Amino acid sequence: MKSVLEILKEIRPEFDFAASQDFIGDGMLDSFDMVTLVSTLDKNFNISIQGTDIVPEHFQNVGTIEALLRKSGVEA
Amino acid sequence: MKPVQSADEVFGIIQEIKTRAGANFSTNFFPVRPKIESWIARKELQVELGQKVVFFFRKDRNLLHLFFVAENLQALEVETKALLALSGSTITLDLVGPANTIALTAEVLVNSGFHRYGSLIRLARSPGKETVTGESPEIVTVNRGDAAEILGLLEDFFDPCADQIPLLYEVESAIDARQIIAIKRKEKIAAFIHFETQGATSAIRYWMVAKEFRDQGLGGALLRHYFAIHPAVRRFTLWVNTANENALRKYERFGYAPDGLADQVLINQKITA
Repeated sequence: MKSVLEILKEIRPEFDFAASQDFIGDGMLDSFDMVTLVSTLDKNFNISIQGTDIVPEHFQNVGTIEALLRKSGVEA
Repeated sequence: MKPVQSADEVFGIIQEIKTRAGANFSTNFFPVRPKIESWIARKELQVELGQKVVFFFRKDRNLLHLFFVAENLQALEVETKALLALSGSTITLDLVGPANTIALTAEVLVNSGFHRYGSLIRLARSPGKETVTGESPEIVTVNRGDAAEILGLLEDFFDPCADQIPLLYEVESAIDARQIIAIKRKEKIAAFIHFETQGATSAIRYWMVAKEFRDQGLGGALLRHYFAIHPAVRRFTLWVNTANENALRKYERFGYAPDGLADQVLINQKITA
C-alpha cells in the first residue's frame, strides 16, 4: 500500500509536498484536485471517503490527510 | 427564490444538507468565502430552498448559473424537474470532476430536463526553459482604463454559457491585482492574457488575440512572456472548450496536456454551443 506522500507525488510530481504545511495556499492542490485525490485514496486504502469530508481543511497537509484517512476507517 | 443575505447563510445551508445526506451528498457548489461575499454584496446570489435540495443561482448578464446542494441524486432529479418547469430564465450549470465521476450526475440532470451544451477539459504543463525569443513586442500590464475594451473582446469571442465571462468589476479587480498582461498596437489591445497565480500554480483564465491582429505571432510572444515572468511556478493550468480545436492545438504546442479533469456544461434550453 502506498503512503499519502507517495500518492501525492504521483498526482503532482512537480511539487515537494513534504516541505509544505499548506497545500492549498502554496498552490499545490486546488478544489478540483481534492476530488481526484479522494478517488485515488479510496482505491489505495479500500475505503470510501464521505462527500461531507471533501473540504479544504482536510487537505491542508500530510497530517490532515492522514487524520481524514483514520476518520474514514484506515488503521494507523 | 430570494436573495442570499450572508456567506454564513450559504455555509449553514450546505452543512445542514451534508449532515442529513451522509454519503449520498451531491453538489456542484464548492464556495470560497470572499467570492461568495462579493456576489452577495452585488446582489448576484439567490437561493431556492427545496425539500431535499437547495439551489443557488448566480445572476450573470441575462442568464443564471445554477449550483445545487442535494441530499441524494434521486431528490436532485425530482426537484430539478420541478424547478425547470417553473423557470422562464436561461439556466446553465457546470459539473466538474474526473469524467467518469460526473457522468452519473449529468445523466440525472438530463433526465430532469437539462440538455448537454458543451464540455471543457483542464490542461496542465510543467515549466520548460522559459526564455523570450524572437521579436519582442511591447508587453504591458494594463490599467483600469483598458477594462471595458478587454471585456468587449471577451464578450465578442467567448460564450457566456460555457466560458463564464467575467463582469466589468471582475476585470477591474484582475487589473488591480496585475493579473492581465497585454500587447498594445495603435493604442488598442491587440492581445492579452488574464491569469491567476496561487503559490506554485498559475492558471490562465483567458488568452486571446483581437481579430485584426491575428497571425502576427502576438499570442505566442505573450504566452512565452507569461511563462518567463513566473519562474517560481511549477504547474501551469487552464480550462479549454473541447469544441475550440484551434486553441487545443496551440496549447498542445506550448506543452499543455489534459490532466484528467472535465467540466460538463448543461443548459435548460435546446441550444448548442
